[in-house]
Order: sequence, then C-alpha cells, then structure tokens
Amino acid sequence: MKKTFSIGGVHPNDSKISSGCRIEVLPVPGTVYVSMLQHLGAMANPVVAVGDKVKVGQVIGEPSGFISAFVHSPVSGTVKSIGPRKDLAGWNITHVEIEVEGDEWAEGIDLSDTLVTEIPQDTKAILDKIKLNGVVGLGGATFPAHVKLCPPPGKKAECLILNGAECEPYLTSDNRIMIERSKEIVVGAAIMKYVLGGCPAVIGIEENKPEAIAAMKAAVAELQANAKGYDGISVMVLKKKYPQGGEKQLIDAVMHRQVKSMGLPIDVGAVVQNVATSLAVYEAVQKNKPLITNTLTVTGDCLPMERQHNYLFRIGTPLSFIIDQMGGIPEAAVKVVSGGPMMGKAIVNLDATTVKGSSSLLFLTAAQTVRKEQGNCIRCGKCAEACPMGLEPFLLNKLAKNRMMDELEENAVHDCIECGCCLYTCPANIPLLDVIRIAKGDVIKIIRGRQAAARAAAEAAKAAEAAKAAEPAKVAEPAKK
Amino acid sequence: MNKLLISPSPHIHTRTSTASLMRDVVIALLPTVIVSILFHGWSEIIVLGVSILSCVLLEYLITRFLLKKPSTICDWSAVVTGVLLALNLPATSPLWMVIIGAIVAIGVAKMTFGGLGQNLFNPALVGRVFLLISFPVAMTNWAPVKGFIPGVDASTGSTLLGMVKEGGIEALEGTSYLNLLFLNIGGSAGELSAIAILAGFIYLLARKVIRPHITLSIWLTVFVFSGIMWLIDPSQYTDPVFNLLTGGLLLGSVFMATDYVTSPMSAKGGIIFGVGIGLITMLIRYFGAYPEGMSFAILIMNATVPLINKFCKSKKFGR
Repeated sequence: MKKTFSIGGVHPNDSKISSGCRIEVLPVPGTVYVSMLQHLGAMANPVVAVGDKVKVGQVIGEPSGFISAFVHSPVSGTVKSIGPRKDLAGWNITHVEIEVEGDEWAEGIDLSDTLVTEIPQDTKAILDKIKLNGVVGLGGATFPAHVKLCPPPGKKAECLILNGAECEPYLTSDNRIMIERSKEIVVGAAIMKYVLGGCPAVIGIEENKPEAIAAMKAAVAELQANAKGYDGISVMVLKKKYPQGGEKQLIDAVMHRQVKSMGLPIDVGAVVQNVATSLAVYEAVQKNKPLITNTLTVTGDCLPMERQHNYLFRIGTPLSFIIDQMGGIPEAAVKVVSGGPMMGKAIVNLDATTVKGSSSLLFLTAAQTVRKEQGNCIRCGKCAEACPMGLEPFLLNKLAKNRMMDELEENAVHDCIECGCCLYTCPANIPLLDVIRIAKGDVIKIIRGRQAAARAAAEAAKAAEAAKAAEPAKVAEPAKK
Repeated sequence: MNKLLISPSPHIHTRTSTASLMRDVVIALLPTVIVSILFHGWSEIIVLGVSILSCVLLEYLITRFLLKKPSTICDWSAVVTGVLLALNLPATSPLWMVIIGAIVAIGVAKMTFGGLGQNLFNPALVGRVFLLISFPVAMTNWAPVKGFIPGVDASTGSTLLGMVKEGGIEALEGTSYLNLLFLNIGGSAGELSAIAILAGFIYLLARKVIRPHITLSIWLTVFVFSGIMWLIDPSQYTDPVFNLLTGGLLLGSVFMATDYVTSPMSAKGGIIFGVGIGLITMLIRYFGAYPEGMSFAILIMNATVPLINKFCKSKKFGR
C-alpha cells in the first residue's frame, strides 16, 4: 500500500502535459535583471556599482541578516543600473540590471560534466559552500538552505526527506531533473545527509512519475554499489494526492509524524529539501557553482505539444524573454501563473524577471480559471473533508466575516497552509481561502503581539525585581555617611 | 490578449457544483421514480409533475417577488424537494393536497429560513409530516390505482407496518423477504422497491455525492436494536430484516437523512445523527402511536444538528 498523508487532500487532474519534454537550455538574453530578494528573509545588499564588469557566478548581493542569501551574477557583462523594479506581483524590489557581454565565468567553478561522487568530510566547509553559493529551497518557499541544514542546539535530524512529490498539477520540472540528473540529486542528498549527522534519507515521489521513480532508484543503487556514503538513501513511492508536497503533509506521509501547530519540521526530527535544492547543493559543493540556473516548465492546456517546454534558464531572465522564445502568449490564455495552479501567483507584470524559485509559466484559459458566481453554502462539508490540516473552512469563513478573532484562533486559522483545497472543492464557489488568508494574517499578528507583550512584561518584572534588590543598598548608603 | 487576469490562488476549480450535486441526487432517484410510475401509472405521474412544478414555481416566485433576489431554481434543489415530496405521498393524493405540501415544504421550511443552505429541517419531510398530521385519512389512503403493468395491483389497502400496528405480528403471515426487496406492496410511491433505492445509494456513493456514514449507521442501529428486541420476544416484535426493508426507512436513510443542509458536517457527527434516527424510528415503530417513525426521527434529529456540529470537531493536524 502506497503511503500518503492522513487528513484531507484533493485529486485535481494532474495535467502533466510537459512531463515528456526534455530539458532545453534557454538562450541567454541581452539584458538580465537580478532581484535582491529571491529568498525568504531580508533583502540582499548589492555589492556592485553601476559600470562594474561582472563575470558569471560573481557575487553581486550579500546577505543582510541571519535569514538572507547571497546573490550571484547569472551572466557576464556590465552593470547598467541598480534600483527598484517591479516583480511579478507588482512590488518594487531592488534589481541589478546587467547587460550581457560574452559568457565568461568566474574562477574556481567546475564546468565539466564529470560526476563527483566523493563526499567531502568537513561539515563546516560544506555548509559554507552552500551558503556562499546562495542555495535556497527551490520547492516554493526559497528558505536559505544552510539554515535548515543546521538544526538548533538540542534538536537532532532523524530523517532527511527529499521532496520529489511535485503534487501541483502541470509542473514537470522536478520530474525532468529527477529523470535527467538523478545521480547529481542523489549525491546532493548524500551531502546533506552527511551534514545532518548521517540520518537516513528518503526521496518521496508521487506514483504519477514512474520514469522519475525508476531513474532515481537506479541512481541510488548505482551510487550505493560504487561509492561510499550512500547507505541509508531510499526512494519512497507515494500515492497521488494534493498537497503531498506540503512540508507537513510529506513528513506525515513518510514518517507518520505530525508537526505541531506553529512548530518546525525539526521538532519531529525531519529536514525536508526539494529535489531541485539537492541538485543545487550538489553543484554548490562538488562543482563550486552558485545557484544561477534553475528549471522552469512552460505549459498549459491551450499550448500545442510542440510548444510545451522545460527550460534550463539563467536566473534573472525576464519573463517576457521566455515568452518570446516560446512563441508568444497563446490566444486562448487569460491568465499567466508563476508556479502551480493551486498555490502559484497570477503574474501582474510580464516584464518581471525570473528568480531562484521560479518553477513555471502556466497559461490558463477563461474556462479553466475564471471564477464562477458564488452561491449559498449548502453545508456539504466538502471543504472540511478536503482540508489537509483538519480545519473547518466553512466555519472559519463565517467567523472571519464577523471578525471573531478569539474564535478564529480557537479554531486554528493560523494552521492554514493556504494550499487552496477548500476553495478548489467548494461546489458553491465560495472564496473560502481568500477570506481565510486575510484572517490568518490578522490572527498571527495578534499572537505575535501577545507574545511580544508577554516578553516585555517578563522583562519589566525582571527589571523591577532587580531594582528592588538594589534598593536596600541605596537606602543603606546614607546611613553609612 | 491585452489584459492579464489577476486573482489569488487557487487558479483552478473542481467541476462539481451545487447544481451538479443536486442533479446527481435527481439521477439517483430515477430508478425509484420509474418503479413507482410503473406500478402506480398515470396518477403517480400527475402527483410527481404537480409536486415538482409547484416546488420550482414557488421557489421562483418567492425569490423573485418576495426576496427580490436572483432566482435560485437553476441549482436543482427545488426539483429534489419536489421529487422527494411526491415519493412520500400516496399515488391517490388529491392535487390540492400535493400543492399544500409544496407550499409548506418550499415556502415555510425552506425559503422562510433564507433558502438553500439555511433551513434547519428537511423541506420535503416538513411538507410530508404537515400533510400527515393535517390530512391523516388522505395520507394513508392506499386504495388500488391502475399501473402500467397488467395484472399487478400495487396497493392492498394497508402498509405492512400499518398491518402490524393494527393486527399484531400474525398479520404478516405469508410475506417473503424477496418480495420486500424487489417490490413492497402498499405504502408511499417511494417505498415500493428496495432494490431501486439501493441502486440510487450506490450511484450517490460512486459519484461521491454523499458519504456512507449516516445511512449505514441508521441501518446498523435499526438492525441491532430490532434484533435485540426480536430475540427477546419474536412474537411481539418484528425482526430486523423486516424493519430494514419496510416503510420509509430506506428512502429516508438514503435520500433524506443525508441531505447536506440538515445533516452534520463531520463523519463523526453523521454517525451520532444516524444512530439517533435509527433509535427514534424503532421506538416509534414498536411503542408509538404511528406505524412508521422515519419522518419524525429525521426531523427530530435535524433539530440537534447545530449542537452536534458544535461538539463534533474534525481532528486537526498536529494537535
């Protein structure tokens, strides 16, 4: 019996139209725009000036906090401008504009295809390479990878889970890298497993990717037979169910452990990294190559087969350039989504640029994506049945509309992972997630505020106690005189 | 394409809609409708037609002229109420009675609460029980009507449950279960054939319109409760299989107790709800004044749904 997560979930048509399209190398555009915020956390500080010559792989942005990441130039050329530019959602973010000249790579980067299977035995050096090469989680959240690989004191990783679920419909880039670059992914997994203290590693893949499953199994077997440090790595076939690739759901499916509300995976001994991140770790550690490329799926039902693509692109390539390369926006499309149809973002601005976490350009037709008029709630309970967090979206919706914040918190609105199952499944087309998402933000603010107030009160009490302890001495002083 | 469409995720939606779910319920009712038409003939067609037509028309008039809102008849829910109401009436029902039933079902039980999704009680059942209390003679008039199958007279004047109530268990001498399964003589139109109702049940399950919890817990409760009573004294209490196959139990447990609006949201709540219906039904059948208690049982348990929903929370992830 194939494993899956225990609560809720939906089964949208997986529409993996482009799963058979080999990865093609996208040409380098004339100009790239490199965002300084391609990761979760603080924006990177640009460390180049206008007019500077840069090489491929050279650092152009440095992290500005603990949770932040290095940014590298994806091309060689001249820095034309540094300043705000709109990202795909329309927010102004600092971008570095580089005019491309040739393709000259920075020194120390191994550009050969040779597979390096020997795992370095210096944890600190590995983590430094991952950090300095700007590796972030490529499963969607773009959380800096080195931070996840350093569990806080007192916590120990018991299992490294490689996320190859790719449960979002349409997306096929993870599928393609698992087929075409399986060995590199397994080496990356072995490196991360070593850093985490040698815990077992499980590569979770949904059953709808038989080719990827076979390729990954073969790669694991071959590396285990021919090299050291690959024991304890295995492939686990998972049932097809959305949102299998959600971090908490995947841990539940693989380890049968549920991360507590507001908790972290490491609390149950899990570290989850995407297969694409594993590939980036391989390149960073074994080849000293920074994260400047990623794979992106171009797909949609309105595109004929020959216009479906999986592209290896330089990060910073404008979306409009990719659209030109694939022959323009199809006539029938009304919406372009970056990411999957369940959790991706509708693109506001096609002049925006690709970032480390870009995984797709998905074209949707009006029939597929235009929302229908909402009706009365018929109390069918399908939303509660679908919610993978076991919440009651119909109730949260009602509470949120009446601004009942205490009740919202009691009913765990802050546990919502925004997977979209409730809205997807509602037969009355009620925009459940739209309402819940806003309420979730508000409730988290209230919780944080309360925590801050409690901390402040505790500190004030401490200070008062310290003052009290100091007081008798003060009183005693004049007596001495 | 000049403009991009922007909206928050998710960007796709399931094909299932309120209308498609209600349409599936109507499809699931078709075998039962066909059987009742075959055995009750033109009078059944007329009762069905009048019932559906008055339910839909009433809903249209109320939304359009009283509530001044867009009409909701396209969601098929009024059709479901119309079919269920007709299947709960004798084929001999006078048409004015059918219309009054529709007025009570749609006008009182459904629209006064705000329409689909807002009502506490199952509209068709409220209509039926209103008629049963107001016109008991007409509602239990099982006089023979001419069906489309020559030589078979569907009605014999009294239902099996009614015979037990009046004449005790000896009245059942000579009825076989095979008869009950395929064709139950006497009773409302919708109580004719257990097989037809079960076919509808399987369709609803296969199409994932309903979950089996409520229906199965009703069956199990009725089976166990009447089983115990029958073992205690078989000369006084009817046996479990008889109780499962007679009266409105099957129709009610498959099509009315599972009504989304008036049943609990969670699976756990559904089981409590089903057990309650099973118990109340059997208590009425064994000890009450009426021969049949399914309608009352469902309506009584409808009233407990808000309470059940409050206490049967789903199991949350990681808590």
